[in-house]
Amino acid sequence: MDARPDATTETTVPPPAVGETLAPAAVYFDGKTNRKRQVTLRFAGGIEIIEDDRILDIWPFGEVRRADGPPNMLRLACVTALPLARLEIADQRTKAAVLAHCAAIDTVERTRSNTLRIVFWSVAAFCSIVGLAMFGIPYAADRLAPIVPVSWEKRMGDAADGQIRTMLGGKLCTGAEGQAAFTALVDKIREAGELDLPTDAHVLSSEIPNALALPGGRVYMLDGLLQKANSPDEIAAIIAHELGHVKHRDNVKRVIQTGGTSFLFGLLFGDVSGAGAVIFVSRQLLDASYSRDAEHDADTYAVDVMHRLGRSPLPMGELLFRITGKEKSPFSIFASHPLTENRLEDMKKAHRPNTGPALLTDAQWRALKNICKG
Amino acid sequence: MNDVLTPQLLSPELPPAPPASSRIEFTNERPVFRRLAMRGAMLELITVGFYRFWLATDMRRHLWSHTAVEGDAPEYTGTARELLIGFLFALAILMPIYGAYFLLGIEAERLQTFAGTPLALFYYLFIQFAIYRARRYRLTRTVWRGVRFTMGGSGINYALRVGLWTLLALITVGFAMPWRQAALERYKMRNTAYGSLQGRFEGTGGGLFKRSYWMWVSLPIVLIGVPVLIVQSPGVGVTVLGFVMLVFPFVYAAFKAVEWRWWVSGIRFGDVRFESELGSEDLIGLYWKVIGWAVLLSVLLSMWIGGVTGIIYAVFGGSSAEAAMQAMQQPFALAGIGIGYLASVLAFWTVMRIYLIHDLWGRVANSVTVHNLAAAVDVAEQGQTVNALGEGLADSLDIGGF
Repeated sequence: MDARPDATTETTVPPPAVGETLAPAAVYFDGKTNRKRQVTLRFAGGIEIIEDDRILDIWPFGEVRRADGPPNMLRLACVTALPLARLEIADQRTKAAVLAHCAAIDTVERTRSNTLRIVFWSVAAFCSIVGLAMFGIPYAADRLAPIVPVSWEKRMGDAADGQIRTMLGGKLCTGAEGQAAFTALVDKIREAGELDLPTDAHVLSSEIPNALALPGGRVYMLDGLLQKANSPDEIAAIIAHELGHVKHRDNVKRVIQTGGTSFLFGLLFGDVSGAGAVIFVSRQLLDASYSRDAEHDADTYAVDVMHRLGRSPLPMGELLFRITGKEKSPFSIFASHPLTENRLEDMKKAHRPNTGPALLTDAQWRALKNICKG
Repeated sequence: MNDVLTPQLLSPELPPAPPASSRIEFTNERPVFRRLAMRGAMLELITVGFYRFWLATDMRRHLWSHTAVEGDAPEYTGTARELLIGFLFALAILMPIYGAYFLLGIEAERLQTFAGTPLALFYYLFIQFAIYRARRYRLTRTVWRGVRFTMGGSGINYALRVGLWTLLALITVGFAMPWRQAALERYKMRNTAYGSLQGRFEGTGGGLFKRSYWMWVSLPIVLIGVPVLIVQSPGVGVTVLGFVMLVFPFVYAAFKAVEWRWWVSGIRFGDVRFESELGSEDLIGLYWKVIGWAVLLSVLLSMWIGGVTGIIYAVFGGSSAEAAMQAMQQPFALAGIGIGYLASVLAFWTVMRIYLIHDLWGRVANSVTVHNLAAAVDVAEQGQTVNALGEGLADSLDIGGF
């Protein structure tokens, strides 16, 4: 049955005949006040709402809609009436009559195809977000990082510096001879690596065997690592690796990537009903995979620099292996760095006999080793 | 009551005096709600959470339409589409805010190490803003007898009040909490109206404190005393801690019942008053059921994880420890555990929705008596609906209510 608002004579009417006035069978709210009116209904050109023989309103059949109501009660609204005007019908006979007359009553009700549509669009949105996180964000980070002014990066570095220094403990090591040797080493690597961004490299008196590059070209070599090193080549390759991060502007990329994934995952799925842990794990996985890519690129850079200097990159792999040992574990996919054994393997492949001069003299190397003892 | 009409009821000149007091009646159709919540949770899983807007709307429609005040149930006129649009708008607004928050954090850190921490305060206030706006959305979508509720006031103003009162509550180790509740409720209610009928809140902080002083006195004692005891003599301390944890749901139920009664009896719309007889026994059962389900679900989840690990090990694991470790890295293992976890989270949320939303709503509603409802006759419709931005913000910030 199609909707005919102006149908004057209905022919296919069940129980109550056209024009028949039903017994007081409805409650009417006119949408202006909350007065509850007991009304009678007459089905003629539309639903005629009658109170004491006075027609209060006529709702054309085609414009009557079902409103949400209590169980066993049919609550109606009308598209052309006041938005909050309502008819409430409890009586079965009257309900049947309304349903028979008003074909369009359920046009806004949710149907099965509607649910399918929600599912479809949700899945589509999910796919596009995952695609964005896996491909779009790294791409954007690669493109955006070179545009970010170095001065901004430096500000981020200054902000991070305080926290990092507090966490690591330790002071700047300023032994004059050691610093001179360190600077000489860094300068050689900068030159070989064609790095034209400013750097600011120091040794920190922390026991932790590590080295790190902060945004803005600040590089810290920790004394713990220095003490574990057996030759200048080991240290040189590590510095080259960190300068690789500087050259690739990995810190800026990382900020863009973390910001992007937090936004996508945190906000869009922020309320998957407390599935926070899954979101957290997915983010960790994604961030770790970005990070492993960056570390791998920095390793490649270090290998390249060492080749140009005529030295073998193998000692770096050996140093790392000495520190971490075999790393393979069930949690390797969460690791921020490639596994040490794989890195060692790569460096073995890149091994070439030394052709260039030693990077530091024995005296310089001793001075560097003692930089924090001054 | 619509089919038992007497003729004089039809006469507008002589409106019969309705009874001075009437109960709110909640029609308990728990199986219907349970199906709705379970189906919703399944669809949430399939739609990676996007179904939440439709589920929230369905739940509200159910609760609103099953609660009758003097025989007439309110209507929830909000739609899931509004919530979705509100959410998308919230995303658009939050994006620059997140960016600014990030940059501000960097600048603050640069000036002083760890100075960025107080910015979390801003976040807390922003959440309060969102909560206020979300309440406003829900109220303006609530229609009773053809007239809607409205809410004015300002979310920012409210957030600032929350900030100051929370600060005071912190300074007074919680003793200011009742006055904080009263002040915030007063602000919300004096900006609330039903049509032309102005709302207000007459509950006082002193009133709440008088009825629940035992809670405010014992809470600091327990919070400080138990850790001290554990340090002094671990054996006794842990026993006491276990006892406290066992007793806590009872105490919490007693307090919540007091708070509900206080809140309900403080609400006024014009001369319409409310009163609640909610007892702690109405709540305690619900809490234990939720606790029981939580325990059951965690046991099931551990069994599931154990099973997945076992199967993966049997299929992919070799004899060596290394092969076994490698096996655990299979995407199947992670996916299996992840799906099990998600399913248990959704199951828990379904439990929460059934007990702590549906059942709690029902019990609170059934406990309420409305006095002098005659004062709410011939109330005129006024006020505007507001958009769902507040709900969207609340949703993005993970604080969506029912």
